[in-house]
Amino acid sequence: MKKRKALSGLTIVKILLYIFFGLFLLLPLFSVFLVSFTGQPMNILGALTNSNIMSSTIEKLKGFSLEHYKEIFTNKGYYAALLNSLWLALLVSVIVIIVCIPIAYGIARTKMPFKKTISALCTIPLIVPTFISAYAFIIMFGRSGWVTYIYQILGGDGLFINPYSMTGIIMVQVFFFFPYALWPMVAAFKVSDISLEEASRNLGAKNWLTFVTVTFPLAIPGILSTVLIIFAVSFSDFGSPIILAPKDLNLLVVEAYREIAGFFNWAGAAILTVVMILVAAFFFWLQHLVTKNRNYGSVSGKPKLQKLNDNKILTRVLSAYSAVIVLVPVFAMLSIFVQSIATTWGKDPLPNGYTLKHYQTIFTSSLGNIQNSIVLAIGALLLSVIIATFISYFVVRQNNAKLDFMISIPLVVPGIAFGIALIQTFNTAPLQLTGTALILIIGYTIRRLPYMIRSTMGTMRAIKQDIEEAAINLGASQLTAALTVIGPLMLPGIAAGSILVFITVIKETSISILLAPAEWAPMSLAIFQNILRGEYYSAAAMSVILVVLVLILQAIANKLTKKQQE
Amino acid sequence: MGSVKVEQLTKEFSGVKALHDINLDIQEGEFFALLGPSGCGKTTTMRCIAGFEQPTSGEIRIGDQVVNQIPPNKRSCGMVFQSYALFPHMDVFDNVAYSLNIKQLKTSHPLKRLSIYVRMFNKKLSKYPTDIEDRVRKILEYVELDKYANRLTSELSGGQQQRVALARALVMEPKVLLMDEPLSNLDQKLRHTMRTTIRRIQQDLKITTIFVTHDQEEAMSMADRVAVMKDGQVIQIGTPTELYSQPATPFIADFVGTSNILQGKVISSKANQSIVQINGKQIKSTYHTDKKEVNVIIRPENITILSDDTLPSELDVNIFVGEIKESTYLGSTVRYEVLIDESTLIVDTSYFSGRGILTEGTKVQLAVSSERVLLI
Repeated sequence: MKKRKALSGLTIVKILLYIFFGLFLLLPLFSVFLVSFTGQPMNILGALTNSNIMSSTIEKLKGFSLEHYKEIFTNKGYYAALLNSLWLALLVSVIVIIVCIPIAYGIARTKMPFKKTISALCTIPLIVPTFISAYAFIIMFGRSGWVTYIYQILGGDGLFINPYSMTGIIMVQVFFFFPYALWPMVAAFKVSDISLEEASRNLGAKNWLTFVTVTFPLAIPGILSTVLIIFAVSFSDFGSPIILAPKDLNLLVVEAYREIAGFFNWAGAAILTVVMILVAAFFFWLQHLVTKNRNYGSVSGKPKLQKLNDNKILTRVLSAYSAVIVLVPVFAMLSIFVQSIATTWGKDPLPNGYTLKHYQTIFTSSLGNIQNSIVLAIGALLLSVIIATFISYFVVRQNNAKLDFMISIPLVVPGIAFGIALIQTFNTAPLQLTGTALILIIGYTIRRLPYMIRSTMGTMRAIKQDIEEAAINLGASQLTAALTVIGPLMLPGIAAGSILVFITVIKETSISILLAPAEWAPMSLAIFQNILRGEYYSAAAMSVILVVLVLILQAIANKLTKKQQE
Repeated sequence: MGSVKVEQLTKEFSGVKALHDINLDIQEGEFFALLGPSGCGKTTTMRCIAGFEQPTSGEIRIGDQVVNQIPPNKRSCGMVFQSYALFPHMDVFDNVAYSLNIKQLKTSHPLKRLSIYVRMFNKKLSKYPTDIEDRVRKILEYVELDKYANRLTSELSGGQQQRVALARALVMEPKVLLMDEPLSNLDQKLRHTMRTTIRRIQQDLKITTIFVTHDQEEAMSMADRVAVMKDGQVIQIGTPTELYSQPATPFIADFVGTSNILQGKVISSKANQSIVQINGKQIKSTYHTDKKEVNVIIRPENITILSDDTLPSELDVNIFVGEIKESTYLGSTVRYEVLIDESTLIVDTSYFSGRGILTEGTKVQLAVSSERVLLI
């Protein structure tokens, strides 16, 4: 069936997919890779269509050297940036794990009070883009922040924590990335074999001893894997460093952004991009190695009834601790909300007055940004739906390993790196897309496709092969079968996945900041620019609108996935 | 309707031979069973005929047409899947109408196609034409499901789902009906009813039918002819009675019914009189053999336990003396394992032979007519 030579509809679709990924994913990455060696901008597409560009490209390729890589170690700025970024990621991942262990244990294995509320609040950090969280920390911990005010009343001197510092960035990332680690850890604690713990207790070990000697070691592989994920996420994060990094603190993402947006230094940006990708890819690869033979999602057999720890002192302490951690992001969001309705908010704990003026301003002058966000997100959503559906089909039904690999690449490439690669490749003829909405949509799509595909592939796997064969047996071509049987059966998965794409696109920072032209500026870019310009009140109002939009959509997505699971 | 001819069909999966030189000649209107243990290649053979697998070599004809290069959706082989593979998002009516919709889709104007897609997605939005409606109703009546037309398939019982699958395959009037273990998901009692139903429909429509099963009873009771397969090869093709009375190999003798299989040395063999030695004892058979070593096959029901006082008078009866080792009461019959020298014979006797059940250790005399001693 697969060997048929005639060009069926599906084969054409597959070829189009290859062209799409070749052009917008592999080519940009490859060309950034080349630039990192030659030190000059390359135009590979141009070289293929124009002989003049071809000869100049060959000329540039002759300048191929490792010279520029030496810069990483000789250029103090770059070297420091790499070390700082690694150090930041390491600290964040270790702190996140330490912070999460008690909460995860509390949720998974105890009857701690307010468990449901705490679990629900844990989702808040996930829906907030990091640059908004970073900005919220400024409102709280900055010179005129209310935390600073309280701190000084209590007799403190200066700032409690300086948000514009490495510590500030770590704080933001820890408080807003911890849910990424929390849920896998909860799962790891739930999975670890209860009978082993009972055996341990039976042998005379006390509760805490059982935890230290049995429960925790059993959860270690799961924890290790989350450490690596947090590491990669923190390393790739652009939002918090771009807002909070002081001038003298070099970080890779910030450095790369400055090279390209400030100095148009292609060589420098390319090298930083390649280094970023390599580091992120290495940690994702390590994570893959750790989890390769484990599957925490699917526990075989019937769920065992777990005995939950109901020691009153322990559960109360755990609950109080969890509440403190969970409330920080909540307060951060509340601070933004309060600022958005404040007339002025200076060095006092509360604003001087309240007004809806800032929202009014947004709905009169910045309505365009909201529209842009929605239009761009819908564009990315449509493109994602089509691509994800077909890719799931090819990967699940035809075991297409090439496409499967291709869609895992965007997970590894930091947004800022991918943005730089896109600009570098498409800023000249024959395909001058930089500055268009199209490249933004494509960039969003490729970056968020893996999330969509995770959802559609799951649904596709649940559809048995013989259902499709039955359709073909009854006279349908593969494409017709896909349209009339597979497609309708996948609808719930597609719906849930596309809302996720919509949300992540609205939140997306790095691609928007790098690629969006003024007339297509989405909300995230508008907020970013407002913060840079010091227009904090409208930035806050816009942030609130963004978060509310995301909240609503997330709720719809959750409803849909729940229905699907029933 | 059409005959199906499979010639020298070979199929390899990444170098491993799944099918080896399969030859089948299935007549028009015939009910043909592919019988064999799991992994014997029977399903692969059927999937090759349906077009879901491409043969490595060999030819498949449906009617007069070589179909090797014809894609599965154009072969007109109605297939009933083991799991039924009903479309879960459609009701019974839409499931059955599927092939008719597809057919209309192919012949329609592009604008009309959209309304057919819409109808397949939700029939409230676009009505079915009366000819399709009639055909579907008719076939649903035929399988006695007309009352369930608007049910979702998940709301039906196993037997009803089976009939939907059958109706869905039959409505497009295929040249050949293929059935892959269609009864394996049903309970014992339903399986017996469905056997008769399927056989009745097949006889009624005179449709060429190929039926894959691992259950010899199913194959023997339903099919006109049976091909027994093992390890990717066809070992024997014949009517059920041929397979039972003249199995080609010890494997078939054992797979089709129960057999006592003994190894013997041929002492002499003439046209209709052979003498074989087993464990030092000579046994007569009316079958001829050219081999020196043979498998001697005796069906358990062809062995009689003699009463003490009667001695057989006929010359061509073989007599064994043995001791009952074990007895199993099976309702109308009693199955004994009788120890004779070193070998054990399985003997089936009617419970109503007036003797009751013989106890272990009872010495018995067994008689087997030489006509019932098969030599393979």
